[in-house]
Amino acid sequence: MDVVFPTMSQENPLAEGVVATWFVRDGEQVAAGQLIAEVQVDKVSKEIPAPTAGTVHLHAPEEAVVVQGTVIASVD
Amino acid sequence: MTATQTTSAPVATTRRLTTAKAMSEGIATEMATNPEVFYLGEDVGAYGGIFGSTGGLLEQFGPKRVIDTPISETAFIGLAIGAATEGMRPIAELMFADFMGVCFDQIYNHMAKIHFESGGAVKVPMVLTTAVGGGYSDAAQHSQCLWGLFAHVPGLKVVVPSTPYDAKGLMISAIRDDNPVVYMFHKGVMGLPWMAKNARATEVVPEGAYEVPIGKARIARPGTDCTVVTISLSVHHSLDVADRLAEAGVADAEVIDLRSLVPLDRDAIWDSVSRTGRLVVVDEDYLSFGMSGEIVATITDRDPSVLRAPVQRVAVPDVPIPYAHGLEHAILPNASRIEAAIRAVMEA
Repeated sequence: MDVVFPTMSQENPLAEGVVATWFVRDGEQVAAGQLIAEVQVDKVSKEIPAPTAGTVHLHAPEEAVVVQGTVIASVD
Repeated sequence: MTATQTTSAPVATTRRLTTAKAMSEGIATEMATNPEVFYLGEDVGAYGGIFGSTGGLLEQFGPKRVIDTPISETAFIGLAIGAATEGMRPIAELMFADFMGVCFDQIYNHMAKIHFESGGAVKVPMVLTTAVGGGYSDAAQHSQCLWGLFAHVPGLKVVVPSTPYDAKGLMISAIRDDNPVVYMFHKGVMGLPWMAKNARATEVVPEGAYEVPIGKARIARPGTDCTVVTISLSVHHSLDVADRLAEAGVADAEVIDLRSLVPLDRDAIWDSVSRTGRLVVVDEDYLSFGMSGEIVATITDRDPSVLRAPVQRVAVPDVPIPYAHGLEHAILPNASRIEAAIRAVMEA
């Protein structure tokens, strides 16, 4: 299941944000709902929970600048 | 509810938190088990604290226990003191330590002295949390550490965590302590997305309640050649420098994170310096009349002959903190100043 960078700026769908913190490492087991990341657009940050239990794969490094909606991780 | 407060327990050995989330989890842990604990201050509710100290608490505990106050520090810190004398365990947040000037009578004449003046009959089991420190161009009135001022006043315990683990454990200890405790958190250790990145601001934090003892220092990095005594964000700078200088063959420095200023773990300072004979103190507070001098006196009061080199103190010189980034960087205890101090005690 994909983990996408959430739409935090409604007025600018192509707004870029930062993957501020990964709380898990690539290949780690996660529980459903576990906090896995914090992302940020401008100075607003948002917590990202794991959508399901499983093995997490990170698709963007910490500090990466990505457009909203980008897949930043997956859990299988 | 935020993900931090979900009840489905992830594996305790791998779950990582930022210092800010660890601090708010410590508060939540005590609030969940003790109805006398409540939190109040400016922007601590919906905003979650401007430096993230109370994220998610309002959603979990509601506005009667997580209280946004008007901008009147004397009033709400006085309120907390009164509630504490009646047996509650309030946590009041002073948004910036710099603002203590408008409410210090409540802090040093009441919070600190009621239990003394009543002969111990009336206790003040409260926590005063406050954000400290600079490095992000917030200028002279929003960048000070000032822990020397709070530690100077008898009757207050003062704790200053540098890591997520200690932030949670010291918070729980502070809430449970029957004395008034000042809990000072540096903005640069909180792991906030909009501050300078600090790799050690995110680490594995155990679930559930645990205490970190107040008044016990921690050897953050063992070493044999010299001792660096420090606290808060400067612990991280000192560790970076110590690792680099060890690799370069300059010195194997021991780094001591004091964690508490009151009580001060003088035995830990003494044990290390009496082994290494060389002392560097790194302090983000002002140089004169403060923590750095007190650390040195800890050695000289017992036996100055253990020192094999003059002590180096890396602190903020006695000037207001500049807004201009270049000037601010020059006066803070940065890596280059710490390295120069370690080299100086090794070459003496």
